[in-house]
Amino acid sequence: MGNPLLTFWRHLFDGDDEHHHRRAALRVAAASASQASATIFLILRRMRTPLIVLIVIFAVSVLGLTLIPGQDLDGQPSRMGFFDAFYFMSYTASTIGFGELPYPFTYSQRMWVTISIYLTVIGWAYAIGSLLALLQDRAFRSALALQHFSRKVSRLREPFVLIAGYGRTGELLGHSLDGLGRRFVVLDKDGERIDGLELDSYRGDVPGLAADARDPGHLAVAGLDHPSCEAVVALTDDEEANLVVVMSAALLRPELPVIARVTSRALAERMQAFGSPNLVNPFDRFGDHLRLALRAPASYQLLMWLQSGPGSELTDRAAPPRAGRWIICGYGRLGRELAADLRAEGLEVTVIDDHPEDVDDPGLLVGDGSDPWILAQADLDRAVGLVAGTNNDTTNLSLVAAARRSKPSLFLVARQNRPASAPLFAAMDIDALLVPSEVVAHEVYAQLSTPLLWRFLREMPGLGDAWAAAVIDSLTRVCGTRLQALWKVRLTGQEAPALAGWLASASARLGDLLRNPENREERLHAVALLVLRGSGTTLAPDEDFVLKAGDELLLAGRPGARRALDTTLFVPSVLEYVVHGHRVPSSWIWRKLSRTPVADAPSRR
Amino acid sequence: MNLEKVVFGFFVMLAATLNFGFFIGDIDDPALHNPYELFAAVVVNLIATVLKFGDRTQIGAVHLATSLVADLQLIGAALLFGYATYVSTAGMNESWTASVVSLSGGALLANIVSVVLLVVETVSFHRG
Repeated sequence: MGNPLLTFWRHLFDGDDEHHHRRAALRVAAASASQASATIFLILRRMRTPLIVLIVIFAVSVLGLTLIPGQDLDGQPSRMGFFDAFYFMSYTASTIGFGELPYPFTYSQRMWVTISIYLTVIGWAYAIGSLLALLQDRAFRSALALQHFSRKVSRLREPFVLIAGYGRTGELLGHSLDGLGRRFVVLDKDGERIDGLELDSYRGDVPGLAADARDPGHLAVAGLDHPSCEAVVALTDDEEANLVVVMSAALLRPELPVIARVTSRALAERMQAFGSPNLVNPFDRFGDHLRLALRAPASYQLLMWLQSGPGSELTDRAAPPRAGRWIICGYGRLGRELAADLRAEGLEVTVIDDHPEDVDDPGLLVGDGSDPWILAQADLDRAVGLVAGTNNDTTNLSLVAAARRSKPSLFLVARQNRPASAPLFAAMDIDALLVPSEVVAHEVYAQLSTPLLWRFLREMPGLGDAWAAAVIDSLTRVCGTRLQALWKVRLTGQEAPALAGWLASASARLGDLLRNPENREERLHAVALLVLRGSGTTLAPDEDFVLKAGDELLLAGRPGARRALDTTLFVPSVLEYVVHGHRVPSSWIWRKLSRTPVADAPSRR
Repeated sequence: MNLEKVVFGFFVMLAATLNFGFFIGDIDDPALHNPYELFAAVVVNLIATVLKFGDRTQIGAVHLATSLVADLQLIGAALLFGYATYVSTAGMNESWTASVVSLSGGALLANIVSVVLLVVETVSFHRG
């Protein structure tokens, strides 16, 4: 409906770009919500006939009862009033049946009642039957689910991540985010995946909607236009759907960070045209990881460990051969990436593929890789590494088995396509295993968890292998081979109120801060991974690093250490003990009694 | 000719006319206000309300609202009538009759609004 006042306000605010985008998103959400209410209206419309039938049957029965003459107890003629008739019909129609009230009926009344009993039972059965059928109706249920979902999303007050596509990758990412205590909203085309959300043991409540992410209306209902939405992640297995998500996010909420999974270069180019989404290509990323593993095994080990999130075990340090010839079976997207990456590292590569398409590769061998004769032709005995990179798990497993039998020392890389094959690949004990969904989930997790971790992981490979090995050593000393908590501390007046004076003194050593508040001779079980000052970073700062106000720290360590550090950051007397070794009474009375000058408290300096 | 519109118009008009028939006459004379007419008015009004379910237009919403008002008042009138006849010791005297009829008068106003809406809808449709 055209409302002149509304139109006026629209004109008033039309110039503002921000408003423009917000309004566009709101309109999209409204369109989707009105679809849901349209279904409700349809349901109401379908209830018309049963309700009218019921009303008419009731009216006719009641009217008949009041018109038919009866008798009272003395045999005097009497008629039923409207109330008596309505009361009688109500309990008769609902099959409760209190008997003939107020007086026993005459035969003419009984004849009429017999007819009306049949009529009303049919009327009720019809009305209740239609109502139940409507409740079972798929369109009605999905409309209800949509309303329920949009209400849940609009009530979210914490920042949340919108995940489009809840496959294996989405599930892994969801569990990592949930572990960090972050909220997220899920959209997937497959209703079974959304139903599965309820079975997953998440700590937070996860709103999920079974809907196509290619519809911007669904994205908007899932919180794209919500002020608390902090990032959009497109993880569907349909590249084009991911493109649409990137597009919608860039057009409706240009300021939001977008992360999308992509496997083809052409689509990556098309996505880059919309803002600057962070694209994650599992094959490309795995190639990069393999190169890193070739050059710096310890850096690779640290990267994998930190990316896998809290609770993950430290994997063994792989030692891929740095010289020699590699054999790559399967020349698809993965094979091409790896061949290019390995050649860039100066290694020789032989490729085996049974149906190569438009390939002009010097080391190409056409044939089935699992055929022993072909493997022999590829000169397996003189190769140093083998990549089983086809998109068929059975082929990959038999390739690995065959290669290992003819040369046990071979470095084996395999690609696992289906989650169900995981135990088989684990039993094979493969040197480097590519699980595309895990690569994507870990990468997205690293980008979303904290910006500091993402910076650390990007800058860490540049510092060399020996440095990474030292960091791994200090981490394992503190928290063993299982990664504990990762958290961020901002040295500001709000997050570290006790530190203000100490930070200003220019002698604030990091090593002093990371002492145990119970016993300062002990070090806290935490390692500082990174300090961010302004836009510059210091990776793995040592004990003598001098902190300044406004620094941001990324710490890894035990949850207990996090609580202890929080005490130090908030309680001035604890800081005083930790830094200088003085026990300062924290209460006013004890301070008076022990005659400690108030000025000694660090916060008052 | 749309059969749905005929049925709809029929019930809206019938609700208004029945209501009017019950309402007309001295407000405190029970002999002039037939309870069967009140019963018919309640039933027809309920049917008219259900017929207005599920209309998404603005005018449909107002239709539904006026119908609900009429239902409320007529059911109130019927309840008062029942109380007067069965419970009250005084029976259906002048004051009870006046209460019942004045409630039905309120419902009549709502019914008239419904009829006006119907006419407006029809006229504007012809112009468009």
